[in-house]
Amino acid sequence: MAESSVRKVDALVIGGGIAGLQAAIDLGDQGFHVLIVEKEPSIGGRMISLSKVFPTLDCASCICTPKMAAAAHHDNIDIMTYAEVRKVEKKNGTFTAKVEQKPRYVIEDDCIGCRLCEYACPVYLEHEFEGRLGARKAVYIPFSNAIPQVAVLDPDHCIMCGLCAKACPTNAIDYTQQPEEIVVEASSVIVTTGFQFKSLDSKTQYGSGKLANVLDALQVERLLAPHGPYGRVLRPSDGKVPESVAYVLCAGSRDLSQDIPYCSRVCCMYSIKQAMLLSGALPLVEVTIYYMDIRAFGKGYEQFYQNAKAMGIEFVKAKVAKITEDEEQNPIVRIEMIEEDGRVEERKHDVVVLTPAIIPNWDPRSVIDIDRGEDEFVNTPQAKLFPSRTIMDGVFVAGTASGPKDIPDSIVEAGAAAMEAAIYIRNHSEGKETAKTGDIEISE
Amino acid sequence: MNEDNANNEANLTMTDMSEPRIGVYVCHCGGNISDVVDVKRVAETIAKLPNVVVSRDYIFMCSDPGQNLIIEDIKKEKLNRVIVAACSPSLHDLTFRGALMRAGLNPYLYENVNIREQVSWVSKSDKEGATRKAIKLIAAALGKSRLQKPLEAPKVKVSKHIVVVGGGVSGLRSARELARYGFEVSILEQMPFVGGRMAQIGTVYPTGEKAKDLLDSLIDEVTADKNIKIYTGTEITDVSGYVGNFKLKVKIAPRGVTKEFDAETEKAIIDACPETTDNEFEYNIVKRKAIYRTYGRAFPNKLAIDWKTCTKCGKCVEAAGGEGIVLNDRDEELEISAGAIILATGFDHYTPARGEYGYEEFPEVITLPQLIRMLDDEGPTGGEIRLSNERKVKNVCLIHCVGSRQIEGVNKPGPNGRINEYCSRVCCTATLQMALELRKKYPEINIFELYQDIRTYGRGHEDYYMDASNEGVTFFRYDGHTPPVVEKAAGGDSPLVVRVKDSLTFGEELSIPADLVVLSTGMVPHDIGNLVEILKLPRSSDGFLQEVHPKLRPVELATTGIMIAGTSQAPMDITESSAAAAAAAVKSSALLSAGEISLDPFVAQVDLEKCEGTGKCVEECPYEGAVELVEMEINGQKVKRAKVNAALCAGCGICVAVCPTRAIQVAGWRLDQYDAMIDAFTSDEPLDG
Repeated sequence: MAESSVRKVDALVIGGGIAGLQAAIDLGDQGFHVLIVEKEPSIGGRMISLSKVFPTLDCASCICTPKMAAAAHHDNIDIMTYAEVRKVEKKNGTFTAKVEQKPRYVIEDDCIGCRLCEYACPVYLEHEFEGRLGARKAVYIPFSNAIPQVAVLDPDHCIMCGLCAKACPTNAIDYTQQPEEIVVEASSVIVTTGFQFKSLDSKTQYGSGKLANVLDALQVERLLAPHGPYGRVLRPSDGKVPESVAYVLCAGSRDLSQDIPYCSRVCCMYSIKQAMLLSGALPLVEVTIYYMDIRAFGKGYEQFYQNAKAMGIEFVKAKVAKITEDEEQNPIVRIEMIEEDGRVEERKHDVVVLTPAIIPNWDPRSVIDIDRGEDEFVNTPQAKLFPSRTIMDGVFVAGTASGPKDIPDSIVEAGAAAMEAAIYIRNHSEGKETAKTGDIEISE
Repeated sequence: MNEDNANNEANLTMTDMSEPRIGVYVCHCGGNISDVVDVKRVAETIAKLPNVVVSRDYIFMCSDPGQNLIIEDIKKEKLNRVIVAACSPSLHDLTFRGALMRAGLNPYLYENVNIREQVSWVSKSDKEGATRKAIKLIAAALGKSRLQKPLEAPKVKVSKHIVVVGGGVSGLRSARELARYGFEVSILEQMPFVGGRMAQIGTVYPTGEKAKDLLDSLIDEVTADKNIKIYTGTEITDVSGYVGNFKLKVKIAPRGVTKEFDAETEKAIIDACPETTDNEFEYNIVKRKAIYRTYGRAFPNKLAIDWKTCTKCGKCVEAAGGEGIVLNDRDEELEISAGAIILATGFDHYTPARGEYGYEEFPEVITLPQLIRMLDDEGPTGGEIRLSNERKVKNVCLIHCVGSRQIEGVNKPGPNGRINEYCSRVCCTATLQMALELRKKYPEINIFELYQDIRTYGRGHEDYYMDASNEGVTFFRYDGHTPPVVEKAAGGDSPLVVRVKDSLTFGEELSIPADLVVLSTGMVPHDIGNLVEILKLPRSSDGFLQEVHPKLRPVELATTGIMIAGTSQAPMDITESSAAAAAAAVKSSALLSAGEISLDPFVAQVDLEKCEGTGKCVEECPYEGAVELVEMEINGQKVKRAKVNAALCAGCGICVAVCPTRAIQVAGWRLDQYDAMIDAFTSDEPLDG
């Protein structure tokens, strides 16, 4: 691994999703110099892949892209994408982080985002960003509103045909790129590493993720998103426009069989939202939501839930016992009608959407000396008064890195983490030269 | 920003403004617009109009590639004006102005056309009409844009003193952050003691810590900070000024007590007071005297006198040995300047109406906050349930969602005429926590919970639900349309019976004998009286303060410089309030750190050649001090002319409408620009591509 010089910043933000971006912007706006390290090839995190967001039904991009752009253009914010923090150590109050810049096999400074490499590449692969419902090439721009607009080459699937290098007008393709190690010195660290869905492979009752028309909710976000994989809502097995869609809530959360006793906090609301959007996109569709408790607890959420009921979305209290499929690959859910007479029913739908448990996207243990709770999210030992603090002084956490959370709560936490970090940086930088801290002089 | 501004001023002179060269960008908004409006046709049609140098459509103009399109065109095509037809200006005016600045163009040469909220979202069924409307609106904006001049945002120096309204956990936390960062902070608390609602809690979920221990640690940090001043017994009577330079008038009621007495003397003083009254802190489980403290370790550590109850009989002064109690102090008036104001005004518990679930009708019906006070070891009953009729308790029935998730036609509106449709967020976990405390203290009793949905959403909350189930708490689920009924029992050991239609047992009607019924009352916004009028505070339909946008600007109000923290915004638990408080602090800090801020340049300007000093504008202006008549000399004559204070002017344009000589105009929205827009609307310019 090639080594380069030391970068000095006031704050290192690990993760460039909405929480990390907000924390960086709030620090940058106070004059602190921030480095965001994002492991994916674009910033934006999970939010940028969403369709619309509850309870306002703003499009996710409309909220997320401006924050991405604001961070990217901020004088005080630098961003490394496709890079991973490998080790963070604290000495004399300063954090030293080793960051690995993964090889893109595309020279970032030379790429102009023209996509000619992508058009030239003959290899088609499942696109993770599209929930594996769409295709990408082996060299590609991550998605249409990615930042940076720089291609990335997937070495596991590249056939080294050389077509991309030939097509590139700026000779930016570099098959020989090596990982590079960058050493970062920071006065504070903010962990905003986000969440992922727990795999349903072990949930045999729900088909272990093998049933063609059983999707997870993030896949449906893509189906509903502008310019999603199909450009419209279709079911994957046969392209049929679904007439009946069912949501299975708590598909892995509040489920001791999956070792996830906790509530994933957002599934009720995003399911209601998706149900509304589906009803808008497909006026004839019938949507059923199978739930244990509807947890519409945030500002305006209960009203949102009541509106959904008024729109005709069906809510059935039931823990779905089993999902199978018939010979036409129509999913069939088996439920007990708790609120009627307790009979067991099998109901056929065109598509079933699962809401998997939200689990952390990052394990800090080998990287930095902060600990995890029993739920494996970053532990916040002063959860009541100082929810952004970790066990390590100067290391703060925000967003879903410390537990499932919706976007408003994540954004507010990001602000809180930025405030705590700002104070920490100030108190630990006296006498030391820092980047441009705002001038604070009290005068009346 | 500031640096950009400086560059921009330098470049301003280099931009050739003589011939408008306009770039028009039509956003698809990922389908939000383009599913209805034929954006290609719009862009092609507009391209043919005079002064349009480029006209494009793009999937997301606000994305980075979208903004880069504009920047590249400005540089390559020497554009000197830009129009983006996209969403509401409230979302992205700043985004696109930023793009212009990065390209070296004055940011106010940008025009927005809202073809989402005002076209595609409201004209879904008429695509042709929507497309034609979009073209017309952009053509009008072109007319305006051609006449647009570069504007300069006025800059004002800001005060680095911040006022936090409310001394509960949110207010304390906001103040602590800002003070540590280097600001001076004044906390204005209405009551004689700080700590707010958190002081009324025994233990907190999910950590099981004692609320008062946590609160003490926070208060210790706040009081140790020399940058923080705490004022209790305050009332804000007036706020004037604007962001960076607010002026608050504050009335401070005298405390009446100037000395910390030892415990024995304090007790003697309280005992000596002959006047008793309702005890809000204990939710009237017990009464208190006119001279009192809310709880043992309340801060400030001094008694206070409730002047509404006190008769000034002087018995307390006697008991105090004639020292440390002053009965005839007057209100103090204080003027405080503030760069920003944080509203951490908190919540009140919903008070059920008389007879609602038997409240105030049966002594065995209490609210959850009352139960919390009773089970608090530091509370008025020493941690025991004590009913006014001293009955022993065997069956306890806890009813969720009292005053929350209300339904029109089922629930009666409260005294404010409002139905509380919202969920109060914290009551589920708080109720379960209390059920478990009851179980621990009274292992032999039966506990029933009547709920609609159990909303234990937060980290560690679900454990309370599982524990309650495992500890033999019995759950019944009711539908909000058929709420439970609390009645006098016809016979049997328990005085009350709670009837519920339980959907978990196929809608069976159950009768539960109850010795104690606990109403899990929700949150309502704390009554902040005149402050709503004084600050023109926006409130959402639930009555809580309304943020600008839940995701873009979640802790800010529309008036720049006013932030919200904690439950003034919506129901929240302590964790969430703490985070919101720190977020409000960071926004205040970012706003004021640089020592000066830029204001909107869209303010009224007076043409002294036309102004005749009629004063009509001053008469009609709704913003105090924004426009005044001043004396000046013109051609050797002393005359009165209108003068605008740019910092106070909101650019509303009322003065423009009333000026008889057309002498006053709003910069960026001049009358000739309106004329041009109207001309465009009424012209027969072709609409087809």
